[in-house]
Amino acid sequence: MRHFFNSTRREVHRLGQSPWDLAMVTWVPVLAVVLVVWIFSSAIPRNLPVGVMDEDHSALSRQLVRMLNASPGMQVVDEFDSESSVQLALREVRVYGMINIPRDFERDIKRGIKAEVILRHNAQFATHSSLLQRDVRTVVGTLAAGIEMSARNKRGESAQQAKVSFNPIQIQSIALFNGSGNYEKYLTAAAIPAILHILAMTAGAWAVGREFRDRTLGQWLQHEGPRAVGAALLGKLAIPWVTLTSVGAAALWYITAGRGWDISGSLLWIFLAMTLLMALSLAAGAAAATLTKSLRTALSVTGLLTAPAFAFSGMSFPLSAMPDSARMWATSMPFTHYIRLQTEQLLMGLTFGASAATPAVFLLATLGLLGLAALGLVQARDKPSTWGAR
Amino acid sequence: MTSHHPTSLRSGFVATLRDVLRDKGALMIFVAAPLFYAFFYPWFFGPEVVTRIPVAVVDQDHSALSRSIHRLALANPRIEVKAVGADERAAQAAMSRGEIDGYLVLPDDLKAHVARGMPAMVTVVSNGAYPLISKAVQYGFSEAVGAASAGVEIRQREAKGQSPRQAGESRTPVDFRAMALFNPTEGYSSFIVPAVALFIMHQTLLMGVGMLVATWVERGAAHASPMAWIGRWLAFLLPGLVSGLFYFGWVFWLYGYPRANNVAGSLVFLVLYVSAIVTLGSLVGLWCRDRERVLQVLLFSTLPMVFLAGFSWPPEALPLPLQYLRWLIPTTSGVQAALRLNQMGAPLQSVMPYLGCLLALTVVAGSFVLKFGGKPQGD
Repeated sequence: MRHFFNSTRREVHRLGQSPWDLAMVTWVPVLAVVLVVWIFSSAIPRNLPVGVMDEDHSALSRQLVRMLNASPGMQVVDEFDSESSVQLALREVRVYGMINIPRDFERDIKRGIKAEVILRHNAQFATHSSLLQRDVRTVVGTLAAGIEMSARNKRGESAQQAKVSFNPIQIQSIALFNGSGNYEKYLTAAAIPAILHILAMTAGAWAVGREFRDRTLGQWLQHEGPRAVGAALLGKLAIPWVTLTSVGAAALWYITAGRGWDISGSLLWIFLAMTLLMALSLAAGAAAATLTKSLRTALSVTGLLTAPAFAFSGMSFPLSAMPDSARMWATSMPFTHYIRLQTEQLLMGLTFGASAATPAVFLLATLGLLGLAALGLVQARDKPSTWGAR
Repeated sequence: MTSHHPTSLRSGFVATLRDVLRDKGALMIFVAAPLFYAFFYPWFFGPEVVTRIPVAVVDQDHSALSRSIHRLALANPRIEVKAVGADERAAQAAMSRGEIDGYLVLPDDLKAHVARGMPAMVTVVSNGAYPLISKAVQYGFSEAVGAASAGVEIRQREAKGQSPRQAGESRTPVDFRAMALFNPTEGYSSFIVPAVALFIMHQTLLMGVGMLVATWVERGAAHASPMAWIGRWLAFLLPGLVSGLFYFGWVFWLYGYPRANNVAGSLVFLVLYVSAIVTLGSLVGLWCRDRERVLQVLLFSTLPMVFLAGFSWPPEALPLPLQYLRWLIPTTSGVQAALRLNQMGAPLQSVMPYLGCLLALTVVAGSFVLKFGGKPQGD
């Protein structure tokens, strides 16, 4: 315990002397998390700019344009009358989509000839274009259903009959676990731990790597044995562990309970996993610094492992669709497992049992990495020639 | 390593190039990192399109109709039917265990209702916690059920005496068709990697330049005359241009990403993009004054930068102050301009606002660098 507290005291003193180092484990994480929450604060994207090319200029086509405009997801910013101006507006991304209403739209429909509304969307902006496709499809479907129903009513079929024979087998779509399609829930909840994961491994690499760079390993660890060195390592990492975990727990509490989001699983279980993810990230940073004996290389390793962790976690692109080799990488990254647990608890409401393996493995991995780092530190401490790498 | 203060453009240029080549850490970041990430990043998204999501079919009807829907689901490439049963709770449990990501319920009154012309309802349940998966499940089952439904409707109309062609035509009065432009297969990799390339270029160059300039500060060799700073920037442009040409010219071609080949426009853009990054990188180096600090403060910045750049998250959905503040980051203009030039083939004049923004960033950051790093101190 003495070694633990001595090391903590030394680290507190060091942080007091370096405003930069203090900032990176206190207000910078707070600011980063606040920024992420702010970015997604408006929840569902609204009013994406689209264009309309109305070649019909009929009452029905104008009705369709009005319905498109009334849909909250999009905003008709311009009407076009030539193909070249349409092409240019799409290329310049003044609009993300272009809705084409063909000539004789109204006349064809009245004669019972099928008419086709075409949406050209910019698939290079995938989020925008999938939102647009959904919304335009809904609007056109509403218009079509209205026309069909009134035609059948005229022919004397009852509304009920009309509805049935319009589409004999209807589909009820249920997206379980995130029915509202609320992107804020989905993205904010995943981005907060992702950014803290990067900051925590950076902090671990920095805390230990700095002793190598500044040739202060001997001063820090004295001539103690492996157990005392392990305690000193824990004492050093304790400070960023407490601060980063607190920031993460506070942020997750704010976006869930603090905003009245009634989550289906256990928030405590998520806090436990967050605590262990921070510990594991710090231990991984410390191990990277010890094994490479270079602060710079340890930070590069940190960047490689943590910066893309969000992209490869299966949240955006499914793990099952990745090639086998890439999936092996993705499933050996701790963030992949953390975010799975968080999703299970926040959105899917699974029981403790379903998510229990992750915290257990995190704990084992943390202890393993800390042990590795402690042994490496003992060896490196006795070889001052290996200190000071830049 | 530079130990004196360069005063001329030529001495700044030569000393910088020498330092880049002698500094193993800088070379790793300038050369090895862009090369590595070019293969690392696309590796994960190789298949492009989400297919074969594991699903189940809950068939409580056991009729010819339910079997035909099941067969159509088996044939759908988006989904892979892993299990068939009659118990919805078993499917729910499998979904909770993560074995499947969705299921289709065919109720026991399906055939009877359809035969009597009554409404029949099937239910598609998908895992909404994962939007891309959920979309594939919903589309896959909708296509299967839609095909079966259309078959039923056409048979019903034929029974009423309409010709098959009439029956097919009047099925729905307005069709909707979505055409994907610029990324016709709607591949995930084609969407994400051309934009991410801009972030890889930005972060590696910013860190590399910042690291070298901070190292100069540590050695007391950072301060130099304006001409020497221009020489340094010209030297820093080289690794940036090389990695830019490597991505635009080779990586995009290698993976077959959509390319519109506005080559001249892309080159103009690249010079301005890299200029903004090297001047900002110099400023970061002067500010950090510590070689490794540059990496420490920049590592976590990628994630917010991606969300602010306006390609994965629509800028229309950002809070108003952020809609303005985000232009202080070169990647915002960079992604918008590069996607237009490289992937959509927009003319150069249509990206002028973004190029102007990059130029303004270069001038402002450059003048700050000259202000804080201009006067040699102590000698």
